[in-house]
Amino acid sequence: MEHTDVAVIGAGLLGCFTARALTAFALSVTVLEAREDVCTGISRANTGIVYTGYDTKPGTLKTALCLQANRDFGRLCRELDVPFSRPGSLLFGFGPRSERVLRDKFAQGQRNGVPGLALLEPAAVYAREPHLAPGVTLGLYAPGTGTVDPWALGIAAFENARDNGADFRFCQPVLHMERTPEGFRLETAAGTYQARAVVNCAGLQAAAVRELTQCPAVRLVPSAADYLVLDDTLAGFVRHILFHEPEERGKGLTIVPTVEGALLIGPTDRPQGEAPAGAVSRQGLERLRRLCAQVVPDLPLEETIRAFAGLRPDPFAVRQEGGQWVPTDRSIHSFTVLEEEGLISLVGIKTPGLTCAAALGEHAASLAAQHLGGPGRNVAFSPERRGIRRAHALSEAERDALIQQDPAYGTVVCRCRDITLGEVREAVRRGAVTVDGVKRRTGAGMGRCQGARCMQAVAEVLAQEQNIPLRSVTKDGPGSPILLGQPGE
Amino acid sequence: MINAMEETDILVIGGGAAGLAAAESLSARRRVLLVEREERLGGVLLQCVHRGFGGEQTGPAYAAGSVARLAKTAVQVRTGTHVLSLAPDRTALLSSPRGLERVRFDRCVLATGCRERTIHALPVAGTRPAGIFTAGTVQRLLLDHGPVGERIVVLGSGDIGQIVARQLVQSGRRVVAMVEQRDRLGGLARNRRDCVETYHIPVLLRSTVDEILGEGRISGVVVRDLDTGRRRRLACDTLLTALGLVPDQDLCRGLGADLPDWLALCGNCDYVHEMVDGVVREAAALGAAWGETF
Repeated sequence: MEHTDVAVIGAGLLGCFTARALTAFALSVTVLEAREDVCTGISRANTGIVYTGYDTKPGTLKTALCLQANRDFGRLCRELDVPFSRPGSLLFGFGPRSERVLRDKFAQGQRNGVPGLALLEPAAVYAREPHLAPGVTLGLYAPGTGTVDPWALGIAAFENARDNGADFRFCQPVLHMERTPEGFRLETAAGTYQARAVVNCAGLQAAAVRELTQCPAVRLVPSAADYLVLDDTLAGFVRHILFHEPEERGKGLTIVPTVEGALLIGPTDRPQGEAPAGAVSRQGLERLRRLCAQVVPDLPLEETIRAFAGLRPDPFAVRQEGGQWVPTDRSIHSFTVLEEEGLISLVGIKTPGLTCAAALGEHAASLAAQHLGGPGRNVAFSPERRGIRRAHALSEAERDALIQQDPAYGTVVCRCRDITLGEVREAVRRGAVTVDGVKRRTGAGMGRCQGARCMQAVAEVLAQEQNIPLRSVTKDGPGSPILLGQPGE
Repeated sequence: MINAMEETDILVIGGGAAGLAAAESLSARRRVLLVEREERLGGVLLQCVHRGFGGEQTGPAYAAGSVARLAKTAVQVRTGTHVLSLAPDRTALLSSPRGLERVRFDRCVLATGCRERTIHALPVAGTRPAGIFTAGTVQRLLLDHGPVGERIVVLGSGDIGQIVARQLVQSGRRVVAMVEQRDRLGGLARNRRDCVETYHIPVLLRSTVDEILGEGRISGVVVRDLDTGRRRRLACDTLLTALGLVPDQDLCRGLGADLPDWLALCGNCDYVHEMVDGVVREAAALGAAWGETF
């Protein structure tokens, strides 16, 4: 049995930021993650938008956290050395319904105290975004909207938490949890842990994990979203993060010019059942293509380099029915953060969950600290983390100096994104154990060839650095070998 | 290292069939610097271990011939070196384990070959598991590390797809089907005969893959009949795609819409050639043309 002050369940964005915030206290922190790496669940597929806070109701936790988080995001990304851009966002529509929505959101944003919001007449909208289809009736400009790579952010929080002493245990799904006089006893697939407090950041499993010791209060019904990624040859095609407010009900199109220069298009909002978990739905792809044709007709969809899907944890209230707990149709719009005698649960955290991840982590950590009687500060804590040196982001002189230090930075592995062998090796040394883990840390495999030219080199580095045979290298964890079958059969 | 500016008359980027032939033919009258990203010269020829290059040679044998001829010229060769960018002032930025360097040139031959179109550019539904490869990736993996899977579906039917399918069957793997959108197979007649017909590879024409199944490793695909719309599942543990080749002109991106007159595209980075013989002929012709004009 291992002892820890706080066990954090789940190492997505929320778990990593909670662990980071907990390490600022004089507490021992153990993070139990079911998968082989961080950010493989809900955090894996995300638009990466940093919202300003005009979308949510005044006076709610969501709004308060979102405003604060947006204001602090530049500082956070400087601390964690994560690329962040603030192109601003433009919400627009094509008729009376969307016009009402925009005016309401503008008024709500004003009440919430979102800085710089402006309603734009069509001419001003087209001056900013000439590729929008004709017929825009109104725009809502929010200069503070930003974008970040969700993986880069989560991995940075993970590394910073680890540097500050958090102990991350991978491939350890929590199978059992019970209260003990000292706090909690947790059993995973690989060990038993005694914790004085638990922070439950288990994402899609958060309700189920909470119910290991508590009565049901919230149930999660996953909904799914499909996304398209367009090549970085289209950098500059749109200048803002674009939100389309449709005239009919349902979700409009979102277009994000990412920090890496690609275009991210999505998400559709659909029942999860339309396709298997994590799978792209055929209907979803058709909806995206239809919406693109309608909203940005000259967007060259033939520049698509990837389609992917993600899941969202939609929270619903529960009721008892014939001795069973079932979700009602009452959806919960606020963030659900429950503190139940040392068990802190973050349940159903969706948009703006990425924006608020650091703030939610600090909130959860302070609740745990309170429960533990207000521990002192960890004097050795540093909020600073340095990312992997990105050869392509350096000046020529800096890049040359880096190669002189370590010649591996002179060999380009990923030609689409100009990523070097040095970066791939460093990603593995920092904890990548799969090809996708390297992709999430470096971007290798995310360009137009989608790894066709670099996957083998990445797999070879994984094998060498971990001293395992190439046949043990996986794409994204157990059951996903790159090479199948024995040689020479 | 970055301060030392090397100069050459002609910079050839890429040491495959086109780059080797261009460098050889231009070297008679000019100083030529040939830059290759891999440690060995030969480009994609090195992984094409089947016969059919310049008659009945294998790719590596054919490459060896070109490299031997090049060795008799004064061409300077730099392997393990990547060209990061080309600038309008006729300089190129090179990266290698030795450092960065800028090379000034009068003219440049781009011989960067082509890349494979991937399935991700198509509107394909389903999961994104391990076991999806382009044909070229499989060809290289087979050579370096052995087989990639046991039950393989091939999407697309170009020459590389057919040749790699044959290699897989020869190494004891099962090609479940070759799926092709058109009403006939692509590629050269001799490949259809020697690969698909000889090895009895099942062919599904007027069909496409529109969904990928499986978590972890691919477990199957949904094949749609383009005429009837009927869908059916095919179990497999590997999907190999041969969806065509795209000239790799990425280095032209910083040079504007009209290519400068000091730059020539040569080989598959200009347009995709069926046979290596055409590549070499055009590369040699470039040498003759440029030899006279400057």
